[in-house]
Parts: sequence; structure tokens; C-alpha cells
Amino acid sequence: MGRQITISCFRFNPNIPGDKPRMQDYKLEEYEGMTLFIALNDIREKLDPTLVFDFVCRAAICGSCAMLINGRPRLACKTMTRNLPSHFTVMPLPVFKLIGDLSVDTGKWFRDLQMRTEAWIHTTKKFDFNALEVRMDNKIAEEIYEPERCVECGCCVACCITANIRDDFMGATGINRVCRFIIDPRDERADAEYFEVVGDEGGTFGCVGLMACDDMCPMELPLQENLAFVRRKMAGAGLKLTFPGIKL
Amino acid sequence: MSAKNTHYCDVLVIGAGLAANRSAIEAAQAGLSVIILSLVPPRRSHSTAAQGGMQASLGNVAMGKGDNPQIHFEDTVKGSDWGCDQEVAKMFCETVPSMIRQLDSWGVPWNRVTAGKKKYASGIETEDTKEKEGLITARDFGGTAKWRCCYTSDGTGHTVVFVVDTVVCKLNIPVHDRVEAISLIHDGVTCYGCVARDLRNGELNVYLAKSTIIGTGGAGRIYAASTNAVICEGTGGAIALKTGLVPLGNMEAIQFHPTGMPPVYILMTEGARGDGGYLLDKNMHRFMPDYEPKKKELASRDVVSRRMVQHIRAGFGVDSKYSTQQHLWLDIRHLGQKWVWTNLREIANIAMNFNGVDPAKELVPVIPTQHYTMGGVRTNKDGAAYGLKGLFAMGEAACWDLHGFNRLGGNSLAETVTAGYICGKQVAKYTLGATQDFNMKVVEDAVKFEEENINNLISGKNGKENVYDIRTAMGTTMMEHVHIFRTGKALEQGVAKLQELYKRSLKIGLRSSGQGANPELALAIKMPGQVRTALCVAYGALMRTESRGSHFREDFPKRDDANWLKRTLAYWKEGADLPTLDYEPVATPLLPPGDRGYGEASAGPVKK
Amino acid sequence: MELAKNLNASVNKSFGKTDLLVDLAQSISGVILIGFLWMHMLFVATIVVSPELFDALSEGLDKYYLAQFGIPATILVIIIHIFLAGRRAPLRLRDLRITYRMASLMKHYDTWVWVGQVITALGVGIMASMHLWTILTHWPLRAATSAARVASNGPADITWGSFTFPYYVVFYVIFLIFGEYHGGFGLYRILVKWGWWERHTMGWVLKGITVIIVVLGLTALYTFTKIAANPALGGAIH
Ligand SMILES: Cc1cc2nc3c(=O)[nH]c(=O)nc-3n(C[C@H](O)[C@H](O)[C@H](O)COP(=O)(O)OP(=O)(O)OC[C@H]3O[C@@H](n4cnc5c(N)ncnc54)[C@H](O)[C@@H]3O)c2cc1C
Ligand code: HEM
Ligand code: HEM
Ligand code: SF4
Ligand code: F3S
Ligand code: FES
Repeated sequence: MGRQITISCFRFNPNIPGDKPRMQDYKLEEYEGMTLFIALNDIREKLDPTLVFDFVCRAAICGSCAMLINGRPRLACKTMTRNLPSHFTVMPLPVFKLIGDLSVDTGKWFRDLQMRTEAWIHTTKKFDFNALEVRMDNKIAEEIYEPERCVECGCCVACCITANIRDDFMGATGINRVCRFIIDPRDERADAEYFEVVGDEGGTFGCVGLMACDDMCPMELPLQENLAFVRRKMAGAGLKLTFPGIKL
Repeated sequence: MSAKNTHYCDVLVIGAGLAANRSAIEAAQAGLSVIILSLVPPRRSHSTAAQGGMQASLGNVAMGKGDNPQIHFEDTVKGSDWGCDQEVAKMFCETVPSMIRQLDSWGVPWNRVTAGKKKYASGIETEDTKEKEGLITARDFGGTAKWRCCYTSDGTGHTVVFVVDTVVCKLNIPVHDRVEAISLIHDGVTCYGCVARDLRNGELNVYLAKSTIIGTGGAGRIYAASTNAVICEGTGGAIALKTGLVPLGNMEAIQFHPTGMPPVYILMTEGARGDGGYLLDKNMHRFMPDYEPKKKELASRDVVSRRMVQHIRAGFGVDSKYSTQQHLWLDIRHLGQKWVWTNLREIANIAMNFNGVDPAKELVPVIPTQHYTMGGVRTNKDGAAYGLKGLFAMGEAACWDLHGFNRLGGNSLAETVTAGYICGKQVAKYTLGATQDFNMKVVEDAVKFEEENINNLISGKNGKENVYDIRTAMGTTMMEHVHIFRTGKALEQGVAKLQELYKRSLKIGLRSSGQGANPELALAIKMPGQVRTALCVAYGALMRTESRGSHFREDFPKRDDANWLKRTLAYWKEGADLPTLDYEPVATPLLPPGDRGYGEASAGPVKK
Repeated sequence: MELAKNLNASVNKSFGKTDLLVDLAQSISGVILIGFLWMHMLFVATIVVSPELFDALSEGLDKYYLAQFGIPATILVIIIHIFLAGRRAPLRLRDLRITYRMASLMKHYDTWVWVGQVITALGVGIMASMHLWTILTHWPLRAATSAARVASNGPADITWGSFTFPYYVVFYVIFLIFGEYHGGFGLYRILVKWGWWERHTMGWVLKGITVIIVVLGLTALYTFTKIAANPALGGAIH
């Protein structure tokens, strides 16, 4: 016999006229190996078919299922209920637009981010179908992969007070995304061009250093390191722009 | 009443996985207007889950020396058990190296060759030369003669999806995410596009286009246990099947991956065995060499999966603490802490997070699990679907027929971008030459039909069946009757059960109000289509009285080229409760049927 | 986000550089202030050694016009700092609510520390003004005047039998702790943002320094009250 658990779940569906935000309790019996993915699906199938939430891969690789679990943003699919108290809360991520209950619109937010940071390889080279690939040091490939591992779950945005109170702040994920392109030798953008997309308060200079992102990223990206790297790089670039004579 | 919004474009792409996105790029680059629809933001598509890698005969790594498209082609055909379309396979193998290099130019951080002597954990010793240093490297994968699986650490699918999506962003192709195509609109000759439900608010919208591409991925979720994401429900195939005109090809060809990890059946990548991992039984005995002395753990997936089940049946399975189903062990401890937590980090994390097991120190429970749908919307080699003009399909949703009856590991990710490129070009060509008059009566009827269906589901007019009960019953039926080892009797029973479920699925009534972004309604709408898909698998398997690739009939254990060198085409006629099966011959112009070379033909009973 | 982008693109591209300069200036003002505070505390702590040393030091500062220059400069930096750093504080009611709600929900250490920094900033602001006011109105600075300030200066001293509670010292203890908290963690945040060190180790180093400074400060305060109570040492009050 498993433990009896109670999940207090945020409920609000903006599409249903007259619906009001509230917390609703669901009681379940826990079993071996139960994750929040299993628990929430059990609720939907057996207790309340209206409950809205997002899961895709259920293996902690797609970033769909981030929510506030007992107040902290986490991936629900890799959260085992046995590591939680017998009564806990689940709420949708803040910052992102609420779709319903636990589901928020990260898709649009992140697409805007890609467009705003022009997060693609900028190059003047034309691809030649018959040529060999350009050589690259394996070390650099591995370095690029580090920030590239971000799954765009939005945890680092949701837990950042700055992102919560400033609509135009791109969050750690945004700065990390730019970091990925800065270290990629295939992207021919000059520092001044990167400065254009992150060198302001919406980007790297908006970060106050709260470090919730660094502590809560479920992919355990080294965000402090990456954020500081971009900040230094951009400070250098910005100073060069401001004082053209300067050598850095 | 009509749809809330009607969108027009030249090319409508249903799906935003690798195949869909890659083809959208091709169409957009040809100057066409493109709209992409997806259940989820593109980067959450299931292609991201692929950890292992992509096959391409670059021949850079020492163990891949001398590789070329011809060898890749032979591996693919053997892997498919001569069930694939050889022309497609040839075209694929020749194109895929450039695809890898193009992905590189777009930003995929492929791992590179480093010069020097290496001793792999598996015991193999090689030396990479300076001359190849910095070129894209490769790892070993099952069923191949050479090492040719290109990878980025443990996140190949992830990086490739992200990079391809950056190009979609760069080209500013609109993506309508959280939109689900629920039916195709057609006039019996030409496909017009689709009716789609907005999963943000529940509204119905219409998308009209000269060409429609289905790139909706696999149908793994018709099985209760699958390595697939929960959105891999085969909807793209189901809506094509429902037209009555478009057939699904080879649906009985379902791949089971040897190493799904209970209790959630998350995949432990083949890379784990490629890098030198073993399979152990309850006595800690490494049993694969007993069955497959040559390829051992790295025989093709169908073979390894069958050997594992065979071994469990022989009494060597490990009792599970989660379920009644026994499992075996995956052992990568000997690869060492460093190797496991860098090169196999993703699976190390998965084992840790979902099982509390550190694979560098402990054994990981594994069991063969549904993994891949070789079958799908049958297309010609341009990716054009049979039966309707202007309809195309690619990726796992399609039966382009690169994989025949068994897909090689790493060939599917490679297929998505290659098909996206090759077929995407053909779509562009077709679309540039096409004009389309939309008969608005047809469009309105299609919307009306869906609207009525939704109203009936909400009001419970047709019945009060519980949609979740039906899904669960379908999943377990497929597990019990249409799994790795199949027999006529079990399949007959399975088909009968599914027919019963199909009837019930037409009488679903919601328990909730169905308002807004209601998840119960979303499932109820597609449930009958899922059961139809399951029936195509089960019935196709019942009728195919031979064993080929991953389709294994205990009552017909041999491949039968005389009678069965053909492809199943399953149609669904209106009002039927079973698919209508048709067959087309499979040509073998380049490589005539022979032994697959996995030692299976000579395999005897279990050695004790 | 789209709007912000358009604004940035169309209104003024060089907005971005301003943001950098402002952020840099904020960090620099912070570094100067924490540098000042720590030095200041060391200076004040000379009282522990002897009132003579304290006096010699402050006389020296006066003699070479270091005080005359240093005091206004510090005041200026503080004002600049308030303007620069203040813009980062949640000022609107909506922001305050969000900040409080998220911080309580997440129970995240660094976030709470920052909230504490914003709160102490307010206290430091008020207390620093008072502090500077009393110092400048009781010029010059000598051990005796300081001791008098620290140990008394209240509207009425509370006395239990022979023990007189040094009323104003409470102000200084709070001031000391607030100032150190605000500045110490401020420095941590600067280092985290520009980041050369792993932040957890660095956090401990800074906490260590902070504790040392606070202990020094408390000892100095204690010494002042002793001096104040003892006329032989120049105590002016009792
Ligand atoms: C765990 C795992 C590991 C794998 N590892 C490898 C590997 O290492 N190498 C390899 O080659 N292959 C691997 N594969 C297989 C390979 O990943 C998939 O076959 C391939 O990614 C499928 O790509 P796709 O583009 O066809 O579909 P998907 O990536 O699945 O995309 C489907 C898209 O369709 C959308 N969609 C679905 N239905 C609808 C609808 N009704 N309306 C609108 N949109 C819809 C979805 O939102 C999604 O965007 C692996 C598979 C799994 C499950
Ligand atoms: C009236 C007094 C003061 C006010 C209102 C004030 C306000 C603030 C605020 C709101 C911050 C947070 C800024 C951010 O998060 O980016 C801050 C940061 C800081 N403060 Fe103050 N402060 C005051 C006095 C001081 C004093 C006296 C010191 C020195 C001891 C000091 C040192 C710092 C430091 C080092 C930082 C970190 C700066 C950064 O992160 O860039 N402050 N201050
Ligand atoms: C530049 C102007 C300043 C001068 C000349 C000055 C001088 C002094 C002196 C002489 C003392 C001893 C007690 C007294 O005489 O009151 C003192 C104490 C103190 N000052 Fe200042 N101060 C200045 C600014 C500040 C600022 C900006 C802070 C805030 C961060 C500060 C924090 C303190 C504290 C906390 C004490 C208590 C000392 C202790 O605990 O021993 N001072 N200051
Ligand atoms: S950086 Fe980490 S927390 Fe932020 S979106 Fe990426 S994976 Fe999520
Ligand atoms: S939490 Fe926010 S303020 Fe910066 S350090 Fe992380 S982005
Ligand atoms: S469902 Fe994909 S990360 Fe949780």
C-alpha cells in the first residue's frame, strides 16, 4: 500500500467564461516509481478529465512540462512524488501566458526570443553540396554543445524576479542562447553585432545576478558562467563602440 | 456555421518535427508561402528525443574507413530484410552525407575526429590520423558494417532539431503551434488542406493549400508501453487513412527497441551498447554472444529484441519490482564513471532521474519496447501519397519505404532530413506548377462534419463510452496480441478485440464540458482514428503469414520471398470496421534477397 | 517583447550602450562604496587599539584634506549609487507584490538575499543621512566626540541602577549590520555577474569577510561605550 498524497493544483481556464483562479485538491494513492507525469495523468483519467497540462517526451528532454512544484519551477516528468511531502502544490509557470490550469504558452515566447536574438548561424559562405565539411576542433564542438543543451523549458525565466517584473528581459535562456552562437566559429557575427541583440537591459545588462536560474535549470547548464561570459564579452564590445580608440 | 479562421498558403506542413521542418525549408526557399502546424512548439517534437545519431557514410573515423554509400545501402537493405524500396534506399544513402554536412554548416556541433590511438571500452583499439582530424566522426550502431553514426555527444536529435528550427526562424516561416490537424479536406481527387483544432482555445480553423505535407511522426502510442513521446499517436496517418483513398503501407512492421527502461519505458540509447555495453540475465551472464556470436549485442534491433524475449521465456528474466513483466539488465559499468557521465550523460541522467540508478555503478533494467513505426502513409519516391493529388508525407509518418521491415538505428533521423530535402524539392516543384480551385462547399462540409462530431461527443448523443478506458484497452490489446512474437491465433483474438473497441470508440461521450482547451475532447476526436491505425497493424500482421524483419510469426518463422516479397497497403472504406488490404510487389533490382548475416538463419534453440 | 524590439530598433539604437554604461557605473559605485565601508570600519576600529591612534588618524585625514575631500566625494557616490542601483529595485506596487510572491513561493536563497538587500538599502539610506548629519554638525572627529555620540545622544538615557544603557548604540548596531549586509552581498552579486569565480565558494569567502568586519565594528562600538562611561579616558558624559 502506497502513501496517500494530496496534490493542490492551480485551476483556471481563461477560455471558459466566468471561470475563476482557485486551488483544487486531488487525493491519490502513490505507487512505486510514480512521477508527476503519472500522477497528473491519473488525475485526468480517473478524477478530473478537464485538467490541462503539457507533457510530450515524459523523459526530461523536451522541456514541455515545467511547472511550479511546491513553488519551485521543475520538470514535472522527472519529479518523483516520493521526493515530495504528502501534500504539495502545483502551479503554472509565471511570466508566460496562461493557456489553462498548468499549461502555459512557452512556444510563442521562445519563438519571439529566437527572432529577437537572430539565433541562427550568420554566415556569408554558400553551402557546397560536394565539398567536405569545414574542420573543427572536437573541443569546440563540445563547448558549443554545452549551452546548446538548453531545452527551452522556461524554468530560468519563471524563477527570475527580473523576468517577472520586466516584460522585455530575455532571461538566462536568451543570454545563454547568444552565448552558444558567440562560441561557434561558424557564426561570423562580430561582437558589435551580438551587442545589438543582447547588449542592453532586455539582455545581458538587465540581469541582476539573482542566480535562481543557475540553481533551478533542470538541465544543470552552467548559467552563471555563461551569463558572465556574455556580460564580459558585451562589455568589451560596448566599450569599444563607445570609445573607438580603446584596446581591450 | 464555418470555421473561425481560414488560412491560405502554397504549402501546408502538418508537423514540425525534423522531416516536416526540413521540407518546409525546401518549400520556403523555392519562394513558396508555407505554414507549419504542430501540436507542440517545433523544438519539443519527438525528434529531439533521438540520442544516438545519424547514419552517413562519411568514412572519417578509423573504424569507418573505406565506407561509402554502397555499403550503407547494403546494410540498409539487409536491415530491412529486403522489404525496402531499393531505389529509395540508394538515393537516400547517396544524399545523406551532404545532408550531414549541410546541417554542419547550419550549426550542428557534430563531434569531430581527434587524432591519436584510442582504446574503446569495448576493447577495440584504433588509431585516427592527423589527416582526418577535425572532420565529423562517427560511432558504432547496430546492424552496420562500418562505424557511420554521426553524433553530438548524447543529444543528436536535440541539436539537429534546434538547428533546423533556427533555419525555419531565419526564413521566418510561420509556425502555428498547439494546433492539431483533425481531418484532411479533399474532393476525392485533390487534397485541399485540413481542418485543425486550436489547442489553446478549442476553436476550429481551416487551412487551405496547394500541397499538404504530413510529417506527424510515429504511432507508438497505440501500444501501452512505448519509447515514443505521448504525442506520437499516428494522427497524420489516421487522417489520411480516413479519406478512404490513401493507404497506409506496411503497418504491421513495428520495431521494438531492445532497451526500454521500465517502469516508464524511456529509451536507453543503442549508443550504450555501441560504446561497449552488455546485456546480462538474472545470473549476471552475458547471453547475447550465445545467440549471435558475431554481432553479439549489436545485431539488428529486431534480432536482439527477439533474443531477449526468448531468453526471458527460457527462464532467465529478472523479476521486476514494478510490474509482473520480467526484464533483463543493461551493464555499462565497465565503461567507467568518466565515459558514462560524459559520452552517455543523457542516459545516465535518465537512469538516475527515473530509476535512482547510477549506471556507472549499477545495472539498469531493460526490456524490449515498441519504438518505431516502419509503416505509414504510403508514398512514391517523391514523397507523394498514393490516392490523393497534392498530398505528401515524410519522416516516420510515411512509408517512403526506406526501412522495409526493420529500420537500422540511426537511419531514421537521417531519413527525416534527407526525405525532407529530396521530397521537399519535389513538393516545391509540384506546387509551383499547380493551380488550385477550392470548392468551398467541400470545405464547409468538412468543417460541418467535424463540428457535428464535436457536438455529439460533448452531448453524448452517440453514447457514453469513456475515452480513456478505450485507449487503455487498445494499448493492452496491442501489447498482448501484436507484440514481438506473433501467432495467428493471438492476432485473430487481437483483431476481434480491436474491432469491438472500434465500435465503442464511435460511441464516446465526454464526462467534461469540452469547453476551451479541453484535453478529453482532443483525445476523443482522434480515438477512432487510433483504433483504426491499430487495426491496420494487427490485421496486417495477421494476414502476413511469414516472418520478415521485425514482423515475427511463431507459426511462420521463416521469411517467404516467394509469396511475400510485397508491401501491405491498408485502406479504410467508409463504414467498415476492418481495413481492406491490398499488396504491391517489392522490387529488388540492386540487391537480391539473401542472408542478413546476423547469424539468425543458423540460430538454434537456447543454449543453457 | 516584439514591442520592445521595435522600439529599440526604431527609436534609438544606441540605447544599448547607455544600458552598458549605466550597469557598469552601478557596479563601480557599488565597489567604491563597499571599499569605502570596509576601510571606514578599519579606521573606526583603530579605537580598539587606542583613542590616541584613532585621533591621530583622523587628525591626519583632516590635515591632508583627505576628510574634506573624501566626505563630499563619498556623499556624491552614494547619491549616484542610489540613482543607479535604485532603478533595479521593485518600485511599483505590482512589482513589489510579484517579488514578494515569487520569493516566498520559491524559497530561493539568493533571491531572498536580494530582497534583503533592497530592504536594507532603504535603512542604510536613512541611517547614513542621519549619521552624516550628526558627524558633520559635530566636527571635528575625535575619539571623545565619537564616544559621546555612540554612547548617548538619546532624548533620555535609560538607567537601571548603576547601569546606563547607551541608547544610541542600538542605532549603530543596526546601521552596522544593515550596511554590511547590503554591501557585502552587493559585492557578491557584482562578482557573480561578472563572474570569474565559482559562486558558492566565493559566497563563503565574502561571508567570512563580512563576519570579521561586523565583529570588528561591534568591538569598536563596545570600546566607544567604555570610553564614554569612563571620564579618565576622556568620556564626556557621565
Ligand atoms: C527515444 C527515441 C530515440 C530515438 N533515437 C534515434 C536515433 O538515435 N537515431 C535515429 O535515426 N532515430 C532515432 N529515433 C527515431 C527518430 O527519432 C524518429 O523516427 C524521427 O525523429 C521522427 O521524426 P519526424 O519528423 O517524422 O516526426 P516527429 O519528430 O515525431 O515530429 C512529429 C511532428 O508532428 C506534429 N504532429 C503530430 N500530429 C499532428 C497533428 N495531428 N497536427 C499537427 N501536428 C501534428 C508534432 O507536433 C511534431 O511536431 C528515436 C526515436 C525515439 C522514440
Ligand atoms: C541610500 C543608500 C543605498 C541605496 C538606496 C542602495 C540601493 C541599492 C540597490 C537597490 C541595489 C540593488 C541593485 C541591483 O540589484 O542591481 C544596490 C546594490 C548595491 N549596493 Fe547599494 N544602496 C545604498 C547604499 C549602499 C552603500 C552605502 C553601499 C556600500 C556599502 C552599497 C553597496 C552596494 C553594492 C556593492 C551593490 C551591488 C551593485 C551591483 O550589483 O552592481 N549600497 N544598492
Ligand atoms: C564619509 C563619511 C563618513 C564619516 C566621516 C564617518 C565617520 C564615522 C565615525 C567617526 C564613526 C565612529 C562613530 C561616530 O563618530 O559616530 C563612524 C561609525 C560608523 N559609520 Fe561612519 N562615517 C561616514 C560614512 C558612513 C557610511 C556611508 C556608512 C554606511 C554604510 C557608515 C557606517 C558606519 C557605521 C556602521 C558605524 C558604526 C561603527 C562601529 O560599528 O564601530 N559610515 N563613522
Ligand atoms: S537554460 Fe535551463 S532552465 Fe532555462 S530554459 Fe534552458 S534548460 Fe530551461
Ligand atoms: S535569475 Fe535572473 S537576474 Fe540574472 S542571474 Fe538569473 S537571469
Ligand atoms: S515531458 Fe518532456 S521534459 Fe517533461
